[in-house]
Amino acid sequence: MPLSADYIARETATNLWRNRLMTVAAVLTVAVSLALVGAALVLKQGAANAEVEWQRGTQVEVWMNPTSSPSENHAISNELAQLPYVHACSFHSQLSDYHEAQKLLTTSEFSALTPKTTPASYRCTPNQPQDAQFVVNRFKGQPGVLKVGAPLQQIHTMEETITVLQWVFVAVALVLLLSAGVLILNTIRMAIFARRREVSVMKLVGATNWFIRLPFMSEGLVQGLVGSIVAASVVFGLHEVLNSLSNNSTSVLAQMRLTGWEIFGTDAIVIVIGALIGTVGSAVAIRRFLDV
Amino acid sequence: MIRFDNVTKVYKNGTVAVRNVSLDIQKGEFVFLVGPSGSGKTTCIRMLLREELPDRGRIWVAGREIIHMPKWRVPYLRRNVGCVFQDYRLLPNKTVFQNVAFALEVIGRPKNVVETQVPQVLELVGLAKKRDNLPSELSGGEQQRVAVARAFVNRPLILLADEPTGNLDPATSQGIMRLLDRINRTGTTVVIATHDAALVDWMRRRVVELDQGTIVRDQARGVYGIDATSGSIARTEVGARRTS
Ligand SMILES: Nc1ncnc2c1ncn2[C@@H]1O[C@H](COP(=O)(O)OP(=O)(O)O)[C@@H](O)[C@H]1O
Ligand SMILES: [Mg+2]
Repeated sequence: MPLSADYIARETATNLWRNRLMTVAAVLTVAVSLALVGAALVLKQGAANAEVEWQRGTQVEVWMNPTSSPSENHAISNELAQLPYVHACSFHSQLSDYHEAQKLLTTSEFSALTPKTTPASYRCTPNQPQDAQFVVNRFKGQPGVLKVGAPLQQIHTMEETITVLQWVFVAVALVLLLSAGVLILNTIRMAIFARRREVSVMKLVGATNWFIRLPFMSEGLVQGLVGSIVAASVVFGLHEVLNSLSNNSTSVLAQMRLTGWEIFGTDAIVIVIGALIGTVGSAVAIRRFLDV
Repeated sequence: MIRFDNVTKVYKNGTVAVRNVSLDIQKGEFVFLVGPSGSGKTTCIRMLLREELPDRGRIWVAGREIIHMPKWRVPYLRRNVGCVFQDYRLLPNKTVFQNVAFALEVIGRPKNVVETQVPQVLELVGLAKKRDNLPSELSGGEQQRVAVARAFVNRPLILLADEPTGNLDPATSQGIMRLLDRINRTGTTVVIATHDAALVDWMRRRVVELDQGTIVRDQARGVYGIDATSGSIARTEVGARRTS
């Protein structure tokens, strides 16, 4: 039997218009929940991308006590040079660290410093990012050493934060997706109720079950798709924001930027989930409320 | 065209609506199904549309056994069996034309078929001039004509009518009967369930009488209120008619 696309389009449009308030609610819920799903995916990929950058730049910083003796400095410098897992080190004098601090600290913080009270430092690149921890352990508490730091720890905290954030997004998104599904189910239920007369005539004159069901199915599908397209544009917008950040700063966020293909993939996932939610929502409504 | 073979229908609450009914209706016949309220007429019609399944026995419609017919075939059965009801069942927000066209559209008939068939059938039922009116702008008789047009527009082999004149005055009812008679003369088998004695007497067609779910009379040119004892004569008449 030819299923007239024209007929289904017309019926779907009529149903959506008749139910427009519920439709808007369903579409918005789908959009918000899928935007969160998309954001979680972008975060995950961004963090993965940035990790490479972050680790490449990993350095261990050995800060010398401002009052350390030249012999203590010498011992440290020698030891660093001998360690097999340290690739290279550079020495930053008290004066050069003082100038660097001027750039990094606020004026009030900086005003408390003088070149004499600023610690000198060795900045070393380990062969493997994970070797940084060995360096930290080895030099911690040695005579003349103020403290040893590896920004790797910061990165770990950052990654943990991102992971937590990601799961929060996913959890909220799941709850919202569920309510989006229920909202779609309810709009379809209302559409079925509004058209119960038509449906009974259709059955009487011998319309096939698929012919009766399809307009309702496509109504749910359209709601899911429209919502997911809104969400996909939000994800794309997020991508643009990250991109513009990376052009004018070297912030951590900037390193998280995604490629066009990654955004395309994320949007594809978002749209597929939207279509799925719409289809499942209307299928459940049809099973429960449309007696064909 | 229609055959009941020892059909029994018991509703879930235990009511035996139809009991051991066997009935043969040939192609092109015009049959009244009569009997008091609750005698099982509607149940028979609903079983012919496969809206209800019998508990025992078998039913053939247009050469097909419909009790064991798979569910997906039921719509195709219904395309061969038009049906009208006492309450018309028109769609209130569609015009006369749209109501009739709907029956073709939802079985996937192309636009050009709709545009030729609908005016034809509206001409047949005498409503060509009212094609753009809503049902609420029509009299009861006119609404029933729209319902007949909708049931007939796909040219079914069988037309069923369950109390089609139940809400109409006698003169209007006669008009509907004339229309059904005209449809019958195109070769369509017509079965009318009714308890309208005057109409049945006036038409002088085959009468099958039900009482508490069993056939108590089957008469070739019957009237409504004949005693059940004349049933045997009636059956020979039917036999004669069939062989002729
Ligand atoms: N859905 C139903 N459930 C239970 N009993 C029913 C149902 N429909 C009809 N009946 C009973 O079956 C009997 C026959 O009903 P029906 O076929 O409607 O008779 P008629 O159309 O001749 O008035 C009646 O006793 C009626 O009460
Ligand atoms: Mg009845």
